[in-house]
Amino acid sequence: MRELRFHRELYRGESVDEAIKVYAPYATITPVEHETHWVVKIESKSAARERKIGDEMANYALGLTIRNQGV
Amino acid sequence: MQLLELRNELDRTSQAFFRFRRIGPDRTLITNLEGRWLVLSDVEMSAYARGAVEKESALEKRLRDHNFLREGWDEAAAREMIANRKRFLGYGPNLHVMVLTLRCNETCVYCHASPAPVSAQGLDMTEEIAERSVDLAFQSTSPSITIEFQGGEPLLRFDLLKHIVAYAKAKNETAGKTVEFTMVSNLALMNEEILAFMLENKVQICTSIDGPKALHDKQRKLPMHSAFDSATHWIRTINQAYVDRGLDPNLYHVEALLTTTRAALARPRDVVDTYRELGCRAIFLRPLDPFGMAGKTAKVTEYPRSEYQQFYREAVDYILELNQQGEQMIERYASIFLTKILHGEDPNFLDLRSPAGAGVAMLAYGYDGNVYTCDEGRMLAAQGDASFCIGNVNESRYRDLVGHPTVRAMVIASNLDAQPGCVNCTYNPYCGIQTTHNHKTQGSIFGRMRESNVCAVHMGIQDYLFGKLADGEPHVLESFDRWTTVRPREHFLHET
Amino acid sequence: MSTIEGIPADVAHVDLDEKRAVLELDATLYPVESLYSAAFVFIDRHYVFLDRPDAQKLRIVVTPKKLEADPEAAKEQLRGVVGELANELVTAAWRHQITQENRARIEAVTLQAMAGSMGPPSLDDLEDFDFTDEAFEDPLGIALSWEEKYAKKGEAKAEASEGTADSPETSDAAEATAEAKGEEE
Repeated sequence: MRELRFHRELYRGESVDEAIKVYAPYATITPVEHETHWVVKIESKSAARERKIGDEMANYALGLTIRNQGV
Repeated sequence: MQLLELRNELDRTSQAFFRFRRIGPDRTLITNLEGRWLVLSDVEMSAYARGAVEKESALEKRLRDHNFLREGWDEAAAREMIANRKRFLGYGPNLHVMVLTLRCNETCVYCHASPAPVSAQGLDMTEEIAERSVDLAFQSTSPSITIEFQGGEPLLRFDLLKHIVAYAKAKNETAGKTVEFTMVSNLALMNEEILAFMLENKVQICTSIDGPKALHDKQRKLPMHSAFDSATHWIRTINQAYVDRGLDPNLYHVEALLTTTRAALARPRDVVDTYRELGCRAIFLRPLDPFGMAGKTAKVTEYPRSEYQQFYREAVDYILELNQQGEQMIERYASIFLTKILHGEDPNFLDLRSPAGAGVAMLAYGYDGNVYTCDEGRMLAAQGDASFCIGNVNESRYRDLVGHPTVRAMVIASNLDAQPGCVNCTYNPYCGIQTTHNHKTQGSIFGRMRESNVCAVHMGIQDYLFGKLADGEPHVLESFDRWTTVRPREHFLHET
Repeated sequence: MSTIEGIPADVAHVDLDEKRAVLELDATLYPVESLYSAAFVFIDRHYVFLDRPDAQKLRIVVTPKKLEADPEAAKEQLRGVVGELANELVTAAWRHQITQENRARIEAVTLQAMAGSMGPPSLDDLEDFDFTDEAFEDPLGIALSWEEKYAKKGEAKAEASEGTADSPETSDAAEATAEAKGEEE
């Protein structure tokens, strides 16, 4: 299982949500409540796959956040 | 004198806004917002910076006359000069590049255009797309437009070229613009019939000459014969045809362009002599750029820009020697910069203005009807990067194209007053950025100028020119002044 | 984790096991906008992750999508990434400052360039323009044409004669009268 922590001051919540939706078909992605971060748990067939999906999701969320002019 | 030593002693109350740069021992160049300039000695610079310029001295007069003093600063004059430099902002695209085909009969080691073989299918512009492209070009807010035929090799579609010329001329009967046509060609497919058409319809002709024959043929290959022989035969023939028509050969001739590759760097004089022997009065010492094939063959063709600077200086020194001996010849890069430096005019060379011309002063129409902000944009698209595609002739309106968010982004990114480095650079009034080059080499249209080859070239050329201006040799100043004299080539203008 | 030659370990280091480089930045030196700007330049060739370990710090984790197999070459590649990213961050931070200082000038030139090339709209452009869009909010209802304001003249007259509704003038007058009475009292 891989855990991503997107800081709320650096990533838009909507962008993280959108990234979750896009990558949901490829892994089990579970958002978790946290005070300072948007936390996302990723479970898939292998650690390598979890890593790849997590990396792509992180870029996607960052890209969307930047496109929407930040937090 | 170390300029840094002055930092703590700067007066900051007597100077109007200025930027400065060391250009040699005992020489500091200062420029102001409107692009006036002076070269000061160390003593003069120290006095100026410290606010200790002697009243009624020669230095004070020079500084006041050039608007470098806060007391009596002539705002109206500064404003007028800036407005004059930015006059081009009032008009839309005047240069419209039309890519008639991607096919080409020549293989060039640094080709920007990612060409296809002559036998390739589906890579030619149709008449419908051509007409629609001309329609859009005529909607430009510019009162004058230039339609530039490019490829691949545009003469592979001479039929389409003729059609576009006829269509545009007919359209101009009512549009009333000033129209010019130019063609960029390797000339290998030129013949008497084509030449007759070009002359009759006043199509200007540009080609490439990379230097002496062996050098040229090594990097530009035709299947059956020498690319150099082919091009030079037609350069001479066309130039003679202009003379036969009573046109001044100093003004009317084939424009030959150089792409400086590594092989040319050691031979600046040979390159200039090649142009002289062809009767070419102008040479444009263009460095390599990273588009198309040049990116792939960089290992063979590329070089550090410091080596280009050395080549440039030697070549232009040689041209100045020739001028002194009575032989007319100019270097185009220098002429563009000098027009801005000496006359406060902008010759509107689209890569050397702020903001750059991509999308607002030029458009490129691909063979498939896709429209790009500039020629480099369509070259990038040919390599799979469509970042600079702003529409299609069949779907997009004129205002949608020139008002595209990509165009707006490029205008902002190429504004020197928004760019780290450039904002403080002494050459700010005269310089320009190429956003597609930034995108290709540094990953964003903004780029980082300190690491940019384009910046290195521009800065190096201006260092050289200002050094020459500071030296003040009369024959050099006379040449520089002549290089900035613009004589319009009215023969090529189509007006109604 | 290993250090990068010439760079303090608490500023940047590489992790060859995780195949990434990490930069720690002083948050007071780099506005978030510059962080985004610099990060965005890298996301086509790298995976970029941002974090804020505390209020004073920013962290960037950069993982090349393709890393050299040889450990020494990989380390050199990551060192290059750190250097490029650091340069981009400085540039972006300064650009952010310049843009704020020169905003008026930049906007003026951009507007002039775009307006100069776009020119006035053509009839086709105007035909497509959606004039039904509300141009602005109008809470007081004052942006009305005469017809909209006094719609259905016949109905209005009929209502007035029955005394069931005031015309705008009479209701205004009634309000003014009520106010005046209130003041007198």
